Amino acid sequence: MSRWSYFARRLVLAIPVLLFSMSLTFIILRMGPLDPVSAIVGTNNDPGYRRAVARSIGIIDAQGNPIPLWRQYVAFMTDLLTFDLGQAWVVNRGSDVTELIATRAPRTIWLGFWSVLVALLVGIPLGFYAGLRPNTLSDYSASFGGIVWRAMPNFWLAIIISSFLVASNQLTGGAFNWSTWIVDTKVITAPPLEDLTDPENLAVAIKQILPPALVLGSSSMGNEMRVGRTAVLETVNSNYVETARAKGVPERIIVWKHIFRNALIPLVPIITAEAFILIGGSVIVEEIFAINGLGKLFIDAAFQGDLPLAGSLIYVFVLLTLIINILQDFLYTLIDPRIGYD
Amino acid sequence: MSSQHQFEEVPLRERLATNPRPALVWAVGLALLLLVELGAVISTLFGVFELVASVAIGAVSGAPQGIGPNSDATGAVVVSILNSIEQFGNTLPTLLSRSLIPNQGHQVASGAWEGTFLGLPPAYAWFFRVVLIYAYLFLLLWWAWFGYRTFVEHYRQADWTPRDDVVDRLRGHRWGQFGLVIVVLFVGLALFAPTISPTTFEQDIDRPYEFEVEYFDEETGTVETTTAGDANLVSSSQGTPAYNTGPLSYDEFGRFHPFGTMNLPGGDLFTFMAYGARVSLFIGVTAIAISGFIAAAFGLLTAYYKGFADLSVVVISDSIQAIPVLLLLILINVVFADHWLTSFYNGGLLLALAFGFLYWPGLWRAVRGPAFQVSEQEWVDAARSYGQRSTTTMRKHMLPYILGYLLVYGSLTIGGIIITTAALSFLNIGIGAPTPEWGRAVADGRSYVATESWHIALIPGILIVLVVTALNAFGDGIRDAIDPQSQGGEGAANEAAAAGGGG
Repeated sequence: MSRWSYFARRLVLAIPVLLFSMSLTFIILRMGPLDPVSAIVGTNNDPGYRRAVARSIGIIDAQGNPIPLWRQYVAFMTDLLTFDLGQAWVVNRGSDVTELIATRAPRTIWLGFWSVLVALLVGIPLGFYAGLRPNTLSDYSASFGGIVWRAMPNFWLAIIISSFLVASNQLTGGAFNWSTWIVDTKVITAPPLEDLTDPENLAVAIKQILPPALVLGSSSMGNEMRVGRTAVLETVNSNYVETARAKGVPERIIVWKHIFRNALIPLVPIITAEAFILIGGSVIVEEIFAINGLGKLFIDAAFQGDLPLAGSLIYVFVLLTLIINILQDFLYTLIDPRIGYD
Repeated sequence: MSSQHQFEEVPLRERLATNPRPALVWAVGLALLLLVELGAVISTLFGVFELVASVAIGAVSGAPQGIGPNSDATGAVVVSILNSIEQFGNTLPTLLSRSLIPNQGHQVASGAWEGTFLGLPPAYAWFFRVVLIYAYLFLLLWWAWFGYRTFVEHYRQADWTPRDDVVDRLRGHRWGQFGLVIVVLFVGLALFAPTISPTTFEQDIDRPYEFEVEYFDEETGTVETTTAGDANLVSSSQGTPAYNTGPLSYDEFGRFHPFGTMNLPGGDLFTFMAYGARVSLFIGVTAIAISGFIAAAFGLLTAYYKGFADLSVVVISDSIQAIPVLLLLILINVVFADHWLTSFYNGGLLLALAFGFLYWPGLWRAVRGPAFQVSEQEWVDAARSYGQRSTTTMRKHMLPYILGYLLVYGSLTIGGIIITTAALSFLNIGIGAPTPEWGRAVADGRSYVATESWHIALIPGILIVLVVTALNAFGDGIRDAIDPQSQGGEGAANEAAAAGGGG
């Protein structure tokens, strides 16, 4: 099988996967023990409102007769696939879900972007550093640090970091105050993303996103370090590096051209898997750092019983995951010519 | 290698009969070890049976009336019998018990302690009990190891099996052994929670106002009595030096708190952690048992039949993995909020089942490669051409090969499950009060992190990090032992998914 037909196969497989995961969501939402209409209306006993909700989310038709489950299913799937995401019932009641997502998404994307970047910029250099100096003290401390760092639960790290940053002035006896450091910011709030071309706004936005980004990137950072280390160790001992060395290629070129580039290959799935962790992890980090992005929107929707909104958000997340997966396969196909031959 | 190339298969029973002594010594030792803990063994075992029976009855009758010894549904009689055996177990003598080495007592005017073990201060009495419990646990484990050695020395027919190499490699793997020791400490904390805690769940969390505490009042110079609930309130940690009982300290009532106390309504943090370990372990083990079973079954089927079977499982598992697991769990918890399943452990059982049915794709991915490898071996082909039934081939010739990999990724996944459970409890879904869960302690201590009462949030977090690191180390050790060639590589992506957990 050639690389590109392998890629095409992966691409085609994404379609049943999307349909299946949305069916799973449908089963949980509509066939689970919780009645979606009751969840939305909550303590509101007005039968007219109940009927309106039920009609709007497609459980009863205009005459008030129940719609059979398979019709509900077809409607549910076509609505999602055509991006008709409906309206929010409890969170920002009455607003359009597509609009809601559009206003919330930039904060989540900003958070995700920085957590990937922070993890990459710290994890990979540390891993390569440790791999180039195997079995030294610096290797051991970097490796051990990476292992422990990776095992830290995000939610715990988040409250520790946020608490220490908030109290940084008292704890250091006034020597360091995070809130006034470089630019004035709060620790727990969403970063302002208006007009990022203004350097001051940009600095505020970056400074505010760094602590949550560090938390969200923590486990990936540890992974990138570990895998980077093993990858470097493997390439250092490979024949072509030895050949290059025997030819008298300068050490700097060996490291950058022969070791670094090849060691990046096994990091591709780690980086894309990171994006995957981010989607789930953003829920917790956004909740703790009070960033009202998509993750926080999902939590609010779930807690307040806005099941249609939660379902639409899951659809968006699944779509994102699948796009990332396809991107990973695409990168693999480009980078590693051996793919598809196993 | 043995010079004897062809030896006759003798059933293990006959081998035992010809040389019964070593086996007898081992069996008697095991029986003695279990006998001294008879009460605890019986009550724990039947507690588990009772839970299983309740769930089965609940599932059949579809409603909560099957649960509990006092209900009148069909089958409830089974539950009540199991429950009475469990209660009977509690009355049986158990060597390592709170009553043998009591740590709850009070001071008298002279400063001496009354009611504690040998009049020792409660800290020492408690510590002594902890040491004894772990000594017993490690002795039990060593005895199991000794049993394996006995089997190898006296009863195994082959001089050498590949497993010997695995064991040898594991014996030289310090990192994996470190993991194993911590995991045993964690499991001990969970299994012996009622004995290892300075106080009990009932007294500390569940019904603190029904228990009394005696203490020495320095102002009046007499021994006074108060309820445990009131004592907890007074000794709680609230972030100021005046209202704080830190780790390794005594409170105003002469009670020792190894990890300090919690915030209002107070209570001992170590007790909370020990019972919380029980819940975490229960969820982790149940979930891994379910997902491991599904993963093994699918792994064997897809490797044996390949083609369409493989493709359809790929699609199903990809679909489950495409939904961020944390979101799915939140959704399940919301949807099942009033379901009868949540009545077990305040939602703990529901969570365990949800994990079980959501985590198998990761495990299946991990065993798929090895299962494919083994299905290409000649012996599988040979078994097939001899007309052996497919299920027998899978069970006898393929399953043993993939079990090791299941263990590796199972231990990584348990770490992820512990983190995710804690994260959900932190968000106040998942496991509700009064069932203790580590994540809820972190949530309780959230506003005290940078204050005097830092221990409430910090200690549970450190324990989670320690346990998860240990599980990863243990998994690494097993992987290096069963498959010395693999170094990171393809397993890395799985690991990322397993250990990261997103929590």
